[in-house]
Amino acid sequence: MTAANTGADDGAAAGDDPRPATYLDLARAVLYREFLIFVRYPANAIGGIVISLVFFGLLFFGGRLLAGQALADSLSGIVVGYFLWTLAVGAYSSVSNDIASEVQWGTLERHVTTPFGFAPVALLKGVAKVIRTFLTSAVVLAVMLLATGTTLQIAPVTVVVVAGLAIASVLGLGFAAGGVTVLYKRVGNWLNLLQFGFVVLVSAPVLDQPWLRALPLAHGSAMLQRAMVDGVRLWEFPVADLALLVAVAAGYLAGGYVVFHYGTRRARRLGVLGDY
Amino acid sequence: MTPTPNGRTPDPSGTPALAVQGLSKRFGSGDDAVTAVDDVSFAIERGSVVGLLGPNGAGKTTLIKSILGTVIPDEGTVRVLGRDATDGRRAAYANVDAMLEGARNDYWRLTVRENLRYFATIGGIAPDSVADRHDRLLDRLDLADRADTPVRELSRGMKQKVSLASVLAGGAELVFLDEPTLGLDVEGSRTLRREIRRLAEEEDLTVVVSSHDMRVIEDVCDRVIVMSEGSIVADDAVERLLGTVDEYRVRVASDDLTPATVDDLRGRFDVADADSGADPPSLEVVTDGDAVYDLFDALRAAGVTLDRVETVEPTLEDVFVRLTGDRGATEPTPSAAGREPGGATNRPAAAVGDEGGAQ
Repeated sequence: MTAANTGADDGAAAGDDPRPATYLDLARAVLYREFLIFVRYPANAIGGIVISLVFFGLLFFGGRLLAGQALADSLSGIVVGYFLWTLAVGAYSSVSNDIASEVQWGTLERHVTTPFGFAPVALLKGVAKVIRTFLTSAVVLAVMLLATGTTLQIAPVTVVVVAGLAIASVLGLGFAAGGVTVLYKRVGNWLNLLQFGFVVLVSAPVLDQPWLRALPLAHGSAMLQRAMVDGVRLWEFPVADLALLVAVAAGYLAGGYVVFHYGTRRARRLGVLGDY
Repeated sequence: MTPTPNGRTPDPSGTPALAVQGLSKRFGSGDDAVTAVDDVSFAIERGSVVGLLGPNGAGKTTLIKSILGTVIPDEGTVRVLGRDATDGRRAAYANVDAMLEGARNDYWRLTVRENLRYFATIGGIAPDSVADRHDRLLDRLDLADRADTPVRELSRGMKQKVSLASVLAGGAELVFLDEPTLGLDVEGSRTLRREIRRLAEEEDLTVVVSSHDMRVIEDVCDRVIVMSEGSIVADDAVERLLGTVDEYRVRVASDDLTPATVDDLRGRFDVADADSGADPPSLEVVTDGDAVYDLFDALRAAGVTLDRVETVEPTLEDVFVRLTGDRGATEPTPSAAGREPGGATNRPAAAVGDEGGAQ
């Protein structure tokens, strides 16, 4: 933003004096594009919300028929788990599908050759997807609470930070899947099945098997349960728990990006980047 | 951390816009290995428009993608505006963009202007700082009144122009255009060709155009690089390339050109083409200066009264066919005819179809 006025000195028009884009410009462009598509084509988002709620309806009403009181006792836990699952699925599929679409549109190549480098662009796109997913999952959560009459502790900062870091690890998996898709186009569709595995991760018994905390989602899911069911605030968690949450998020995000980076690099070597 | 500015700056040192040295790329390994690009070297001056020609499979797209960095070459160096594209990729690519055939290159769910702003940013230029340039660009490409329309609602030809506009939006100094007139009607193609020339002459833009349509190449290019089987087989100014074909033809037309007469002439002259179904029937003969007299003597002896006599100048297509042999002979013609109604071969527009659209 620093060079914005340099053109005025020599009389050039404000809109005719190219100045380098900053990372702020880049962030604005990527997030604004996501916002435009979200508001202009709401059918996708609404469709996702409806499908999520139908699944939950089947789970809730079907479960009540089968399990009765046992389900009612653990209902708040189920609502939190389902909320996190919709977040994870939203983040994962939007990132991996987005990469596949961009390959098909020929726009991925333009992002790979940007002077910013692909990493910041990819990360910003991931952030945009997570924000979007939070908005749709918030609607799902609200409807679930109303429909089941459950009450939860929703401290926004705690929920956003814990859930955000929990799904950052899934974002990493999305990038890895995208990297594999760039190389092997058909494998991409199969990788979408991974999202059903997130159910297992969300409900992983981390108390009995502490090593499960190293897997994506598992530790974050346990913390989110404590935050939303027991009302534990962010600053009330042990530092070790928070550190592990950050480490798992950063580890999978970095790992996913490395897979994506090498996937696109190999695709460039084989000359298949952009083929579809 | 700020990308390199790509506002136009005069270049007193005369550094070429693009310098490729010893570039090679093979795909596969062992017996199945295919050499797509084989030790290719060339340089392109700033502000010039260069055509890249070659039959399908000649290595054009691999060459372009190797320069762009979306294909990693096995050997060779690429310098874009003096910067090594392999060492300092980010800096080098602030000034390069490409419109590749068969790809959208932009977002159809965004409007035309939103695409320009987005891709200007991705290309390293703050969009507000070039808003007026974008308006002028849209104006010149006859897109101004559709600036706020989502691209998906536009016709195929307009989408093609939006794709070009989005490539030019970031102020790149070197652009690659692969089949830029594909899907455009006569007027659209003319507008685009005029704009390419203007950008090169007035704004010092360097353009590399790859096309099967020889009219586009002849019209806009200062120079042509012809590739065949991964290598450069010719690299020269358009006029000089046309001068390399010292083959002149005479086309005669007459109602007296019976099949028997044509058969007789075939035995004595190098008949390039004969059309007995035309009205009047016509005959095209390859001839040097002296043989013309012999031809006319033979026609008089056969009792042929000529309705029309024309000399046929060699075209770029003739040069192309000669340089690339049979591979080129069969491929450019139908494409050139199909891709631009009213083109050199005057084929009907119905041949355009939807192939290559891919979206």
